Amino acid sequence: MSPVSAAVAVDGTMRRGSSWFRGYRAKTRWDLAGIRLELPLIVVVQILSGVGFVLGLALFFDHMPDAVALYVSTGVVVLNLTLVGLIVGPQFTADQKLAGTYDYLRALPVPATAAAVSWFTVTLVAGIPAAIVSLVIAELRYGISFTVTPSIVPAVLLTTFTGTMLGYALSHAVANPMSVRLIAQMLVFFVFGFSPILYPSTQQPDWLAAINAWLPFEHMATIVRAGLTTGIVDGVGRSYLIVAVWGSIGTALAARALTRRG
Amino acid sequence: MELNGDRSFRAEAVTKVFNGSLRANDGITLHVEPGEVYGLLGPNGAGKSTLVKQVIGLLKPTEGRITLGPYDLVADPAVARQLCSYLPQAQMPIDSFKSREAIRLTGRIRGGDGATVDRRTDELIDALDLGEWRDTVGAKLSGGVKRLVGFTMVSVWPGQVVILDEPTNDVDPLRRRLLWDQVRRLGEWGSAVFLVTHNVMEVEKSVDRLAVIADGKLIAEGTPSSLKAQDRSFLRLQLMLVPGAETPELPAFVRHQTRVGHNLVTTIDQDDAVHGIGWAEELIGLRVAEEYALGATTLEDVYIRLTGHASSDDGTG
Repeated sequence: MSPVSAAVAVDGTMRRGSSWFRGYRAKTRWDLAGIRLELPLIVVVQILSGVGFVLGLALFFDHMPDAVALYVSTGVVVLNLTLVGLIVGPQFTADQKLAGTYDYLRALPVPATAAAVSWFTVTLVAGIPAAIVSLVIAELRYGISFTVTPSIVPAVLLTTFTGTMLGYALSHAVANPMSVRLIAQMLVFFVFGFSPILYPSTQQPDWLAAINAWLPFEHMATIVRAGLTTGIVDGVGRSYLIVAVWGSIGTALAARALTRRG
Repeated sequence: MELNGDRSFRAEAVTKVFNGSLRANDGITLHVEPGEVYGLLGPNGAGKSTLVKQVIGLLKPTEGRITLGPYDLVADPAVARQLCSYLPQAQMPIDSFKSREAIRLTGRIRGGDGATVDRRTDELIDALDLGEWRDTVGAKLSGGVKRLVGFTMVSVWPGQVVILDEPTNDVDPLRRRLLWDQVRRLGEWGSAVFLVTHNVMEVEKSVDRLAVIADGKLIAEGTPSSLKAQDRSFLRLQLMLVPGAETPELPAFVRHQTRVGHNLVTTIDQDDAVHGIGWAEELIGLRVAEEYALGATTLEDVYIRLTGHASSDDGTG
């Protein structure tokens, strides 16, 4: 087959159906290979930061109460699952914009949804091992046990998806790469410091707790905890809704940015 | 939805206005047939990249149409991405990819089947003499080899339109010839090849037709020969000035002049050849110039006349 027949073949009805999966598979391989040099380091940093939180917060206590150990270690899972999609992804995109490769990647014939799902797959691959290691370390260190229920699957998928889509929206809706980097840094500051993920929102001032009640991060922690523990969270249905709404907002903003032509 | 019939690329009165007033493209109309290698020349900021970005669906024209056969590329940017392969001027994002892997993956992303993409990848690696870097990661490649790998990524499964933005940047002279052979083959296989550059000397030997763009407007179009035809009664008098020398006062018979570094390139009428030689000898005697060359005008002289720029004074050419 000569390239000209290849060129003709890419046109036609195959374009719509099978090409989505072909695009998804090839783009996922591309994305994974593209961060091949960084991925091991990202996973190690994720594990170290997760383990650091799990072990470090014990230093506040003579004897870490089980409830606290459960709270912290399940919160760490959320940090592990969202870090790559929300923070690292936008930094990569900022690098692509600065290096001038962003236009080339956007000009590849991969459906926008397939490209987004590819990146979501990568963030799962980068986040799940660290989350599992953090939980295992917590079990070994504090002798606690998690009650894993099937709801952990949608909780992990939705939490990672929402984090990834919010990061995706930031990556593509904010044109200036320096602004993308700055906002990503601010998000680290806010998510790690001022979101009730590792601790309950009752520890926060009322006004900050009221804000967080409408942001996704506390609710990500709630749905993940509901999948790993029994009896320490309530209002899980509302939390799913809020996380899903934020995921939809991120998706809509990203879709708008990616289909917008200046 | 086959493209077996009309496969011509057409841009019709394409106009792109930024911020309500900056006309980056102003009524550009051109057509390119399958198999043609078409040069798009112009100084930096002329509007070449803006035009290309509209073709591949990254920008939307303010006015005008861009079509490929029956397809409206403006209305359906997803189709534009399917039908157009694009090599940007910037380096490709392949630092963590092995060369062969990057080429194969791009072929797969572009819709190629595994076996054909593998075979074509190996063919291109051999044709461009890239074998020794087959399994080298991009971060360890020189700029020129990386550029060639980028070219193979674009041509492993080419679109109906292949857009190459300065494909020979940093490429050594030997492999440049190999690359031009492959560009010609893309044309022979039926792709319409856009060659975006300001390296006029290379274009003269490589394209079937070309357009010169300046200030957003298409100011000339034709074959290299037809564009040179109107300059046939002129000669190029090139003076190599002494380093540090100021541009000498120009005699009245000099029609155009451009200075790039120590080179002063002028155009004179054929009938003024004797006067030109006399002037050049005088400058050498005054130690203003070191040597001179008098010859037929080239496409570069046409380009200088049209744009006021030498092809190599734009920073990247």
